[in-house]
Order: sequence, then C-alpha cells, then structure tokens
Amino acid sequence: MPDLQNKKQVSSPEHKELPAYNDIKIGSDKLHSRDESRAALLVANKELALQNKEKEKRAAELIIANKELAFQNEEKEKRAAELIIANKELAFQNEEKEKRAAELVIANKELAFQNEEKEKRANELIIANKELQFQNEEKEKRANELLIANRELKIAEDNIRMLNQEDIRKLNEALEQKIINRTEELENVNAELESFSYSVSHDLRAPLRIVNGYASILHDEYNLLFDDEGNRLLSIIRESAKKMGFLIDDLLSFSRLGRKDIFKTLVDMNLLVSDALKDFMRTTPHTATITTSNLGPVLADKALIIQVWMNLLSNAVKYSFQNPSPRINITCEDTENTITYKIEDNGVGFDMRYAHKLFGVFQRLHDAEEFEGVGVGLALVQRIIKKHGGKIWATAVVGEGAVFYFSLPK
Amino acid sequence: MDNKEIEILLIEDSIHDAELTIRALRRNDVAKHILHLRDGAIALDYLYATGQYTGRDLANKPKLILLDLKMPKVSGLEVLERIAGDKTTYKIPVVVLTSSKEHPDVDQAYLLGANSYIVKPVDFESFSQVVNAMGMYWLLHNHPPHHT
Repeated sequence: MPDLQNKKQVSSPEHKELPAYNDIKIGSDKLHSRDESRAALLVANKELALQNKEKEKRAAELIIANKELAFQNEEKEKRAAELIIANKELAFQNEEKEKRAAELVIANKELAFQNEEKEKRANELIIANKELQFQNEEKEKRANELLIANRELKIAEDNIRMLNQEDIRKLNEALEQKIINRTEELENVNAELESFSYSVSHDLRAPLRIVNGYASILHDEYNLLFDDEGNRLLSIIRESAKKMGFLIDDLLSFSRLGRKDIFKTLVDMNLLVSDALKDFMRTTPHTATITTSNLGPVLADKALIIQVWMNLLSNAVKYSFQNPSPRINITCEDTENTITYKIEDNGVGFDMRYAHKLFGVFQRLHDAEEFEGVGVGLALVQRIIKKHGGKIWATAVVGEGAVFYFSLPK
Repeated sequence: MDNKEIEILLIEDSIHDAELTIRALRRNDVAKHILHLRDGAIALDYLYATGQYTGRDLANKPKLILLDLKMPKVSGLEVLERIAGDKTTYKIPVVVLTSSKEHPDVDQAYLLGANSYIVKPVDFESFSQVVNAMGMYWLLHNHPPHHT
C-alpha cells in the first residue's frame, strides 16, 4: 500500500510547521521597507537558530535513542542466549516428559489392572457384606430369642425364690406323706395280688387236677368199657385240663415277674444257651439243626434269662418242625452300649402286619391246633427283657422263617 | 377203733385229691396200708391217740405222713409243728403236698421239719409218677432210725 504511505507523509504536522525557503525569498523581493526586511531576517534567523537548536535537540535525542537501541540490542542478544539455554532445557525436559509419559502408560495399565481387581474384590465384598448382614440379622433374631428366654428364666427364678424355706418344707412333708401313703397302697395291692395269685394257683388247679385225674383213671382202668370214640373224648378232656394247668402256671410266672426284683450277675451266655438247649432238646418231640456262634456275656438275672432262651428256642423249633430240614441259627452282636442276641429259624414265619400283637398276653398268630401253646410265652419274655432295660423285636416272612432279636444293656 | 398197722398216713381235706393220691400209690404197689384222714384235728387225734382214737396203740406209727397244707380247722403247718415238736413223732418223715410252689407256707413247712414237698400237678400221669417215686424213696430205700 505505497499510496497510503505517501498520503501520510503529506498530511504529517511536521511538514506544515517547518517554514519553506521559497516563502522567505518572496518576502525580500517585495521591498516594502528595510526595517521590515531586517526584522524579517531577524525573525528568520531566530527561526533558523530555533530550528538549529531543535535539530541539535533532535540529534541529542537520537543519540540517546541510539544508545537506548544499542542497549536494547544487547538486552535482546542476552535474552536470545538465555532463550537458547531455555530451549535446550525445554528439549531435555521434553525428553524427560516423554520417558515419564511412557512410564505413565505402563503405570496406567497397571492401575487399570489393579482397578479391575479392585472391582472384582469390591463385588466379592458386596456379597460378603450381604452375607454378613444376613448373619447379623440372624444373630439379632437369636439375641432377641435369648433375651426373651432370659426374661422367662428370670421370672421362673423369681418364682422359685418366692417359695421360701417354709413352703419348701411343707411341700416336702406333703410329698413324703404322699410317698408313704402310696407305698402303703402299693404294698396292700401287692399283698392282694400275692394272695390272688395263690388263690388262682390253688383254687383253679384243684378242680382241674380232679378232672384230669378222674379222666385218666377212666382211661387207664375202664378203657375196655369205652369204644374208640369214648376213649378219644376222654383224651380231649385230659389234654384240655392239662393245657389249662400250663396256662395257669404261665400266667402265674408272668404275674410273679411283675413283683419280683431282678438280681443281675455276669451271665456266660455260651454256657447258659448250651444248657438251655440240652434241657430243651430232651423234652421236645421235634428236632432241628442248631448252630451257635460265640455269644458275649451280659449282666442279667440268670434264672430269668434262661426262661427267655427256653421260650425263644422252643418257639423257633416249634414253628419250624414242618420244614424238612429245620435250622436255627443263634448269633450275637456286640455294640458300645448294648449286646443283641439273634435267633433265626426257617420255619413258618408270621405275617409282619400282626407283629405288634406278637408280645401280648394270649395273643397267638398261629392256629392252636397246629402249634400248641397258650400265648403267654412271648409276653413273659418281653416282660423279662423290659425288666432288664432291654428291647425285643422280631421280623419274619411267611413261609420262610422268623428272626427274633433281644438286646440288653451292658 | 382203727388199730391196724398202716404204712402211709394221708392227711388231706379233699376226698377227690385223696382218692387220686391213693390210686397213684396203689397203682405200683408202693403201699397197701394207707389211712386217709380229712383234717388236721382228726390227724392229731390219731397220732396221739386222743378223741375218737383214744386207746389206739401208739406203737403203731405210720412210716410216712403225706400232709396237705391247706386244710380247715387245724392247718397242715400246725400239724407239722406238733409232729416235729413231739419226741414220739418227730422221726416220722413228712412229705408236704401243695397245689402250688407259690404257697408261702412251703418255706415255713421246711423250717418246721418237713422232709420234702410235692406240688400236685394237674396232669395225673405226672402226679402218679412223682407220688410213686416219693413213696418208694421214703418207704423202701430210706431207712429211718428205729422208733423207741
């Protein structure tokens, strides 16, 4: 834009103020007056002197300005040198920052990984927290329950405390009197039972003895006067009376057992069972193959336990005689607190539906015509076992056999 | 007055029981001379020649007494006590007859000097065997000391 620069120069105020030489020459030519010319020259001189001075001032100012510029130049050079140093410093710093950035990238990755781990851990913590919260709730519930129980206990305790010594003494006395009365009652009842047993034993047996005795005499001494049918009828009378005699005997043993105290000793079951078997096989019309494994000893009333074995063995033989090769197997199982004996046969068995009736008095699961017996034996056995604090039970399959178990505490 | 010699004195209140016992004893010829008395009072009269037996020869003593414990009037135990306490009779063996071994008097009978006891079984065959064995033992095999 050269045009624009020119215009500026033209309109500059410096150019206007400076008087032009052309104007001065024109004045002198006009020759109005000498004084006027001299005055004009003086003025012009002064003007020139002024201008000179101005120029001198200007030169001085320029020198100063020059010096200033020189100073500024130096300053700028210094500054440039400083900038070079600063630049180098920055370059170095740049490198450092790059390194640092690389390290930060690695650190970042590490942090990201750690972050993930922390997130996982946080999730786990959330779950654990929930679990803890649940447990906490449960504990609170339990604590509340305990609190209630505690309160109840406290009330009970207070109640007990309220019963003072006097009350306790009175209660004790009343209890003792009750026990005395009850014992007396029991003794009376026992004595009555005793005498009842004896009456039953004596008074029922006496007429039976007569029935059986006279029928026997008829059979022995007058048999020729009877035909076969007559003799058969006589036999039935004799047998029935005899059976009722056994029944009375069994019932008496059963009731006697209730009153009897048991006397425990260490019983050698091997010996006891072999004795029982010998005794028993002598009297039974049946035979059987009997195997016995080692039977552990037990604390029991020997006289009563032998009755248990006699009953169970006679049942086993009685109910298996229809098998062409009857077998009875006797074993025992020893556990920490009890010893269990097991009598297994291959006889007719019984229907498990009626197993609950097995040990009742007069309960029979088989036809009396087919298998003799009065239905007291197992009731007696159970009573003996219960008196020993033991248990008896049985399992069976109809037509395959029965297993009787009894366990006694050690 | 019954003064004939007897082997067995049976003291028993039940005539039927007595009859069965006598039949059992006779069946095997254990004893032929058996006297049955129906209660303790009469038995004591017989043994000590009192009452209806006054004047009976006391030297004629039974070889064995079969004594029922349960009798009216004078019980078996009372009879036993008299027999055991009297020097003229204490050597006569006494076998107690009872319907049941449950009888509390059985122990007492032993204490009073009974030599044995028999539980009368319902089954006559068994009873017969026991009575015979007992009779044989006391009459034939057991020799009591001579009576004075």
